[in-house]
Amino acid sequence: CKKLDINESPNNPPVESATVETLFPSAVISTVSRTGGDLSIIGGLWAQFWTQNSNSSQFRTVDSYDVQATSNFINGPYSELFAGALTDYQLGISKSVAAQDWRYNLMNTVMKAYTYEVLVDLFDKVPYSEALKAGGNLQPKFDDGYTIYTSLIAEINAALAKDYKTAPLTDAQIKTDFVFGKKGTSADVMASWEKFANTLKLKMYLRMVNAKPAEAQAGILKLYQDGAKFLDEDAKVDIFIDVPNKSNPFYEYNFRRLNTPDNLKASVTFTSWLKKNQDPRAEVYFGEADPISINQGDYLGAAAHPEYNNAVNVVVNATDAVPLISKEESYFMQAEARLRYFGGAGAKDLYDAGVLAAFAKLGLNGATLLATTYAYPASADVNVNLEAIIVQKWASLFGSHALEAFFEQNRTGYPKTSAVYSTDAGYIPGQLVYTPNGVTGAGNFPRRFVYPDFEKSRNSNTPAQVPIYTKVWWGK
Amino acid sequence: TVTAQDDKLPIPGVSIKVLGTTLGTSTDPSGKYTLKVPSTAKSLEFSSIGFTTLTREIGSQTVINVVLTSDSKQLGEVVVTALGVSREKKTLGYSSTQVGTEDINRGAPTNAVAGLQGKVAGVDISTTSGSPGGSSKVILRGFSSVGGNNQPLYVIDGVPINNSRPGGTSADGSVGDISENYDFGNGANDINPNDIETISILKGAAASSLYGSRASNGVILITTKKGKAGALKIDLSSAASFTNVAIVPSIQDQYGQGWSKQNWLAENGSWGPKLDGMTRPWGPIINGDQETKPFVAIKDNFRDAFDTGQEFNNTLALSGGNETSTFHLSYGNIYSDGILPGSNDMYKRNNLSLNGSTKYKGLTVTASANYVGKNTRAVQTGQAVSGIGSSFYEDLLQIPVDYPFTNFKDYNNKFYNVDNYFSPFAQNPYYSVYENGSRFKSDRFYGNVDVKFKATDWLSFQFQQGADLTNNATKFWNAKNNPAIGSWAGGGNDEGAVRQESVGNVVEGAERYFEYDSKFNALFTKKFGTDFDINALIGVNYNDRGYRSLYTGVENLAIPGFYQINNSANDPTSTSAESERRLFGAYASATLGYKNYAFLTLNARNDWSSTLPSNNRSFFYPGANLAVVLSDAWDLSAAKISFLKVRAAVGQTGSDTDPYRIFNTLSRTSAALGFGNIIFPIAGVPGYSVSNVLNNPDLRPEISTETEFGGEIRFFNNRLGLDVSYYNRVTKDQIIPVVTAPSSGVTSRVVNFGKVRNRGVEIALTGTPVKSENFTWDIGYTFTRNRNLVLELPDGLDKLILNTAYDAQFVARVGQPLGVLEAPVAKYDPQGRIVVGSNGFPLLADNNGSYGTSQRDFIMGLTNSFKFKQFTLGFTLDYRKGGVFYSGTADLLNFVGNDIKTLYNDRRTFIIPNSVVQVNNPGGGVSYVENTTPITEGNINALYYTNNGKAVAYKDRILDKTFLKVRDITLSYSLPKSIAQKIRADRATLTVYGRNLITWLPRENRTIDPEVSNFGNDLTSEFGEFRTGPSVRNVGISLNLTF
Repeated sequence: CKKLDINESPNNPPVESATVETLFPSAVISTVSRTGGDLSIIGGLWAQFWTQNSNSSQFRTVDSYDVQATSNFINGPYSELFAGALTDYQLGISKSVAAQDWRYNLMNTVMKAYTYEVLVDLFDKVPYSEALKAGGNLQPKFDDGYTIYTSLIAEINAALAKDYKTAPLTDAQIKTDFVFGKKGTSADVMASWEKFANTLKLKMYLRMVNAKPAEAQAGILKLYQDGAKFLDEDAKVDIFIDVPNKSNPFYEYNFRRLNTPDNLKASVTFTSWLKKNQDPRAEVYFGEADPISINQGDYLGAAAHPEYNNAVNVVVNATDAVPLISKEESYFMQAEARLRYFGGAGAKDLYDAGVLAAFAKLGLNGATLLATTYAYPASADVNVNLEAIIVQKWASLFGSHALEAFFEQNRTGYPKTSAVYSTDAGYIPGQLVYTPNGVTGAGNFPRRFVYPDFEKSRNSNTPAQVPIYTKVWWGK
Repeated sequence: TVTAQDDKLPIPGVSIKVLGTTLGTSTDPSGKYTLKVPSTAKSLEFSSIGFTTLTREIGSQTVINVVLTSDSKQLGEVVVTALGVSREKKTLGYSSTQVGTEDINRGAPTNAVAGLQGKVAGVDISTTSGSPGGSSKVILRGFSSVGGNNQPLYVIDGVPINNSRPGGTSADGSVGDISENYDFGNGANDINPNDIETISILKGAAASSLYGSRASNGVILITTKKGKAGALKIDLSSAASFTNVAIVPSIQDQYGQGWSKQNWLAENGSWGPKLDGMTRPWGPIINGDQETKPFVAIKDNFRDAFDTGQEFNNTLALSGGNETSTFHLSYGNIYSDGILPGSNDMYKRNNLSLNGSTKYKGLTVTASANYVGKNTRAVQTGQAVSGIGSSFYEDLLQIPVDYPFTNFKDYNNKFYNVDNYFSPFAQNPYYSVYENGSRFKSDRFYGNVDVKFKATDWLSFQFQQGADLTNNATKFWNAKNNPAIGSWAGGGNDEGAVRQESVGNVVEGAERYFEYDSKFNALFTKKFGTDFDINALIGVNYNDRGYRSLYTGVENLAIPGFYQINNSANDPTSTSAESERRLFGAYASATLGYKNYAFLTLNARNDWSSTLPSNNRSFFYPGANLAVVLSDAWDLSAAKISFLKVRAAVGQTGSDTDPYRIFNTLSRTSAALGFGNIIFPIAGVPGYSVSNVLNNPDLRPEISTETEFGGEIRFFNNRLGLDVSYYNRVTKDQIIPVVTAPSSGVTSRVVNFGKVRNRGVEIALTGTPVKSENFTWDIGYTFTRNRNLVLELPDGLDKLILNTAYDAQFVARVGQPLGVLEAPVAKYDPQGRIVVGSNGFPLLADNNGSYGTSQRDFIMGLTNSFKFKQFTLGFTLDYRKGGVFYSGTADLLNFVGNDIKTLYNDRRTFIIPNSVVQVNNPGGGVSYVENTTPITEGNINALYYTNNGKAVAYKDRILDKTFLKVRDITLSYSLPKSIAQKIRADRATLTVYGRNLITWLPRENRTIDPEVSNFGNDLTSEFGEFRTGPSVRNVGISLNLTF
């Protein structure tokens, strides 16, 4: 009966009408809203850039390593990255393959790999081979991290093997690329995506250095043999404005929408290191050259520390970009590759380029410090050089890129962890301290997220719970 | 001649039996009768519906004139059943309760169902808000729908009406999503209770199935007043009452302002030093100027935060008619100003109703037209969107116990204004009362035209067309304000904290609801021989309903105090929604009577719904019920049994689903953050992404199957009556979006799933312990016990989350009642000792634990009425036992140290009793050693919040739901006719009444009335409340005059 055929929604378009031009920017925003928002807030608490203020309580469970499976800190990002971002990348890939549109195919594939890598690095194992099939598989099995990594690299390689250069993107399509669209021409945009793809592969191979050293080395050497070009610019989403619901996600969450903007305060761990090195970045990161700080995780300690009441906020602006892989990060990774596999040849130049880029981004000149305190050690001991690279990388990952600092500390052990708390006379500035309110037992730093309740309670294939301080497969 | 005592008019149709024989007759239209009686006959029995049965000795009289007194208890004898058909109650094979206008309006309520609380078995009625015009929740025989609607269908004079809550049309989190913050009342509350003649409550499937899929939760059948042949009648009903706050939180009176045992002046809590009565400075320091007061807890602080409200409820009705035509015209007006100061919580309603009917030969035309105009203002409840505005209740709860709330009413005073409010962590509650607000205007028309044609004496036809159209306009706003830099709240306080700026906003919305309902019935009535009769109908129904809504809002106002969408540098954001559904139904029903004491009814209905996939859109559901009046089959008068009936019913109801759940869609991209969202379009680029909800092209209708057994017995000339029902209803194949593992790419999918069972017993006891010429005592008692059980959930799910607050979840779990509260619990070692972390605070168990069900153990109601000469004293008690709820009011009071429960151990340093710490053995495995780390007095506050104290904090915020309320107390005085007639009135009654005057709560709940909720008025609201307003009580006086 015709009169009853009125069940097509007037409010939402049918799924068949999806286009790559509306899916891709949606998925990119879903990815960076979490990597540059919640996950960076957590990453920065665990990388000890900032800490929970003693007068407020929003992030206490994070700062005491007490993040449970039911916590929204875990379920929120997990849900958004899968159902918000990856579903759209996957549909975008199907659509572009069907239309032989290899440009959107590459863009979607790289972003899918980037997003998946974040999930693997947080959770160790996640569904991959049976995931994203909607009603087709409601209980996807979990794949181990290494399998997912190699599959993602294979997906990137396949996308790179296609011809994504001949047919140019239209101006309207370039606008939908929030990562490189500002470059203006299709050729420039696609060239940047290629570099992003290569740098992402480099990043994934470097993650494997502990668990799969041979594969990591082979992969990286292959990149160099093939003359792969790496990022010499930021891969970042830089379209945020100071308008509600359109701002940098870290800002939108922590400053615009929380009941107090005073949750995140400078951590002694980071500011003591900046201060020791007379690093002018303190002024940009915290608004003061010598920021008053709170010892990491000491949110119950205000009585003994009256200065906590004057601790300064982190400075994150509504218009800040969310980096995916920053220029300096690319240089630091290349420096590490040179250090590991080329006997250190060229490592110093890349390290220097990284430090200078990190300062330049903040409107500062790093040359003076690079000539003195931050000079590349060029030591015979590889680890000394590696520590210098990773610590400088750590110092550059402040803000909406802080999650990467947490990952890199897990992979390399740098910055080192301290045997004493930061109030101790013997404390070495910049070493990570175990929080006084930690629930995991002294020295058991968080190394992952526990499996989320959203998955655990709905998918019987979810692996058994492991403690938050268990390293992920590539961890050191 | 038989006449009525009340109006001295003759009564037609009175049945007269010669006792001890089968002889009898009935009175003619003028109340006259003649009857031949054998000489052995001793006495005659006169009985008629609505009158007390009377027995008279015959003796030697040849003319026996009797006067019958009306019996309100027996008024229920003719009841309105499905599709507006009046039936003798005794023919029904299911439980049916009818309440008349006097019982409904005794306490002059502004909404009809409030007058039923405590009076009907099997019915759970709550008022979910103390704000004027707030919603009511009606649940018949328990919750059975996990995700959908559990509210009954409201039917007025045979036509279903819209019972939606405004604001429910917009997607969660969108600019028009106001359902948790503003309660503008549900649609059924629009009806003027004074226009209602009776309300029939059809609880079971057997009773309601003919109404189709919407009736699967029962039906509230409302019959409005009609004109009667005779002189013009004028009814005036006028009530005025005072409203004040009923339950306020009890707060601790031992510790004053501060945090961590220190007296910080900027703190929004009472974790400071012990109150010592010394005069101390308090509040902000402004240019060295500061107020002083004694450091003591303020008595009645919460109660004094509110004002006394007023309510006026007036109705004037004109009615009359002649043999062929009648009319009833009424005008009702309600003006209600709530308990907050100023006129920011207000409810104004105008009801205009006209109905009339006329007859010509076999044709009867009845029409009814009703207009409802509403103007409501409500303050925000729940959690304010921070950075935009603030909410009164949330701010009120965070004031230290030694601060006098009433001072803050002067919110422009230099000590309490935006710049200098004492705490940068909250705002002056009265600022939001006066400066933020909402306005809701609604125009509604509903009515119907009903044409009946009597073709022959056994066949008639009926066509009825109903319409219900509502236009709502909503506006709400938050003022822009920001403490000046360096002012007390702007950072110049003793903690150096800066208050978050409120950028302000304004949202305007329009909603339009429509519903058209048409039906055509053929009705048969026929007798076969002397023993059998049949009453049947067959009909078709077409229903078309839906809504359109559009909301637009903008944040960050340019010019403060000016609330217009253009007043911002930001672009406005909008959300719009449309929904429409259609349903065809065909049905038939037949009641077969045998000797007027055994009745078998067969029902069947088939629906075709637009909301289901086309190959599954047709569904059929039958039912049958049987009633046997044993007291008519045998003479049981010897056993003092005046009436005995048994009944049994079995039936099904089918149900469709919401529109647009078949085909998969995209949705505009809105990426959620922990707090806030990033919403497209961004940088001039639109974004559409795959919807997180997977729809389902294979949906089937939901089917409920219900069996019911019951009986009615009355003794001693109907002086004592008992009505008992037992029912068992199983609802299966429910259609709801079920959560899904996010790795599948969606977060939920729409499925048919599961089984929920409701079993219960309903008992109604009525009695008249005393009955004499001057004094009558009537008593009514109801008992309801519903046992609810989730029998099945979809594959792979052990629980289904229905609602959440922080880490507390309201879930459905197999083998448990629908709606269990689960929340974090502490970890215990194998010996049952509590495991604490290295900081001395209890650790969390890996999984949430159960805190109990939201379902009640039982409900009891008791009504009493004492009539002494012209005076009537009545009261109703409503007792609901058991169940738990989440209180967002309690969680905030605990966080800030105002709750009585925060006085545990007098807030001194202590080690969690019987606690251990876990030690990881070097060789693997764990062991436990005694804990020696205390919770220091400076950190005790952390034990009451969901961070360090998460493992133990939930026990203080999940509270017992039990209450006992005196729903109404009324004392009426009917003026003697002689006096009434001096003012030319036929009847004049003066009543003093109180509504919800007294509430008793169990010890565990000293916080809030468990009835209130801002989680809507359905299953999710059973979870509890999140910082909503208190309930209220009324005391008033009413005058009812009939001319």
